[in-house]
Amino acid sequence: MLKSLDNYPINGFYDEAIAHPQQPRPAAAQLLHQLEDTPFDSFQEMQQSAESAIAQLGISFTVYSDKGNIDRLWPFDVFPRTIAADEWQRITTGLKQRLKALNLFIEDVYNEQRIFKAGVMPLDVITSSKDYRPECHGMKLKHASWASICGSDLVRDGEGKIYVLEDNLRVPSGVSYMLENRAVMKQVMPEVFRDMNILPVDQYPLQLLSMLRSLCPQNCDDPEVVVLTPGIFNSAYYEHAYLAHEMGAELVEGSDLVVLEDNCVYMRNIDGLKQVDVIYRRIDDAFLDPEVFRADSTLGVPGLMRAWRAGNIAIANAPGCGVADDKVVYAYVPEMIRFYLNEEPLIDNVPTYLCDCEEDRQYVLQHLNELVVKPANESGGYGLLIGPRATPEELDTFYQLIEKDPRNYIAQPTLNLSTVPTVCQSTLEPRHVDLRPFILQGEKSYVTAGGLTRVALQKGSLVVNSSQGGGSKDTWIVVTEEKV
Amino acid sequence: MLSRVAERVYWLARYIERIENTARLTKVHAQLMFDLPKSVEMSWYGLVQITSNEDYFAERFGDERSEQNCMALLLTDRNNPASLMSSLWWARENIRTTRDILPREAWIHINELYLLTKQRQNDFNERKKRNALLSEIIRACQAFTGMLAGTMSQNETYHFLKLGMYIERADMTTRLIDEGGLYVSQQQFDNEEDTYFASILWAHLLRSISSYFMYRLQYQTEISGPEVLQFLTQDEHFARSVNYCLHEIQGVMSKLPNSGALQKQVQQLQNRVLSEKALSIGSDQLHDHLDWIQRELSELNSLLYNTWFNPKQVA
Repeated sequence: MLKSLDNYPINGFYDEAIAHPQQPRPAAAQLLHQLEDTPFDSFQEMQQSAESAIAQLGISFTVYSDKGNIDRLWPFDVFPRTIAADEWQRITTGLKQRLKALNLFIEDVYNEQRIFKAGVMPLDVITSSKDYRPECHGMKLKHASWASICGSDLVRDGEGKIYVLEDNLRVPSGVSYMLENRAVMKQVMPEVFRDMNILPVDQYPLQLLSMLRSLCPQNCDDPEVVVLTPGIFNSAYYEHAYLAHEMGAELVEGSDLVVLEDNCVYMRNIDGLKQVDVIYRRIDDAFLDPEVFRADSTLGVPGLMRAWRAGNIAIANAPGCGVADDKVVYAYVPEMIRFYLNEEPLIDNVPTYLCDCEEDRQYVLQHLNELVVKPANESGGYGLLIGPRATPEELDTFYQLIEKDPRNYIAQPTLNLSTVPTVCQSTLEPRHVDLRPFILQGEKSYVTAGGLTRVALQKGSLVVNSSQGGGSKDTWIVVTEEKV
Repeated sequence: MLSRVAERVYWLARYIERIENTARLTKVHAQLMFDLPKSVEMSWYGLVQITSNEDYFAERFGDERSEQNCMALLLTDRNNPASLMSSLWWARENIRTTRDILPREAWIHINELYLLTKQRQNDFNERKKRNALLSEIIRACQAFTGMLAGTMSQNETYHFLKLGMYIERADMTTRLIDEGGLYVSQQQFDNEEDTYFASILWAHLLRSISSYFMYRLQYQTEISGPEVLQFLTQDEHFARSVNYCLHEIQGVMSKLPNSGALQKQVQQLQNRVLSEKALSIGSDQLHDHLDWIQRELSELNSLLYNTWFNPKQVA
């Protein structure tokens, strides 16, 4: 057992590494054993060496602020988070099940709308969603792959049970950092990798490419796949370039593409135009096509929706799939799984109160100081209320916001997110984490081995978003079976 | 290959070549100052003239032509788009935005060079440390160029890198010759001692572009201005001669689409460079000739833009 953890506090949270004082969890046992004699100083050294590797590799993300865009180095903690492979296997199956149901749901929304006709879900949840795109009606997609790439956030509660906290179906980001975290860790703790059986993560770009190729509308042997970025000022530009590079796909901006009268998409090459078959887009629906959505968008491609509707181009994620990203829709995912797949959900939702529903709203308004309130359509941890930490003014503001626009808010109990030992100023301390695995669905489904663990670096904080001062950890899926 | 990406890659190579040559220019200048007799007037401002930065200098520093100001303008001034730091910043920015088509090491290499140079920027203020840092920068640029040559497919991306590199190099070589000529023209080299110093000057100039040894192999006589000039503009084999650069540009262009008009243009330029008979060092005619080459290269740059980089013209 690791000596640096001798005085590690277990404060009633579920810790991912340690079950009780002096007793590691099975997935962490080998790690803690290997690091047994590592003094705290060495962790700090590893931390420094990781940080200089990050600077050298130029792993950064952009933060929007009043003073413009600042390229920040990726915040990273060297103490890894471990998960047992057999547990991960179950989670993988549950995530695939979930995405399959979500994709069937989106196709249903834009076609027969069976789920509403069957009374399982009220139709106005969809029609009132800001990401509902009537322009998508009548579209049927290859492999029903609307949300081809999904990042679902998982959390563990005080008892160690895994829940899905939300599904990110629009343009989920973070996967490049998962890959970079691993690369950094291999530099920092090479011995540990040699001796432990940790599932590799680096097939992701190839899986992504093969998924994207499977979406090609025509049956061509060698589809032209491109990554569409809003450009270098976007907060996730690093990731766009990284993934394009790893896939060997062209990284394009809107102005590089053009839709001609034949409703096909072409890119502007030095020797003229070349047809594009699949676009992995990293820009929001609203900016995708100024002919259809925001007319002032200079990021998109005029005519892209025409080309898509004509079946000449595949777009991942498909336009309109954000309708299922809505947090009110999230509340219905378990019902979707039962409805479309006739299966029981393998991973539960966090209990969710819909403010639009009279009974739930009354409960929420009366228990605001115990709940986390989230706007239905935000990402990046913006616009949240964390009840137990809110000031009376903040509570009052949200009271009014909810009364004014109940459709736009959901509430969930404050979860006691699990903790992982983290390198702090003078010792290893527990810090709260969540986990974002990435799920692909094209011809086949794929789930990353682990995902991006985000960690709240502030003591006691539950906010893990990197745009809100959170950091990240490498996530190890550890095979613990005894060797025969 | 995307037009936008081709343009960024082309400029990336130009910036790297410019960084390397700016470092070389500065180094050779300092060396000359140590070796030339007191009677030969050396001014740091020469560097400003060679790099065509006179207007900007006047605006920024007025008449204060001190070493410090000249060095700041040439090396560290971020408001001067042609300074070494600006070029490095832009090189880094261009890799950052074309990382998807370059080897991963390319980004790491330039990012590191940028971080290192930025961290040691104060070294530029002190001659001894400056030269050490400049040598390091030159080495890093060479390692970069070599790394790309050794790891990249000879594809369109690489063609555009080469194009940028050779155009910038040809331009910088003419500026280096001009640098030499500048001193010669300022002096009356009429006695024996002065002639001796003239050969020191040419030797330094050759060393500044790592061509001393190659020149020696080619010409066994004492180093003379006309021969240096011939070597650096017309030599068929030397990697930094204007003629060689144009030859390479020609070769690369022939592999790129729609380059007919461009190739013709380069051919004309090359013919003229080769036909120029010994212009005397330090003469206005030589300066004008070099200036003309620089303008032709700049013209070539506009043609490239219209042929490959401007998407509206391409498609």
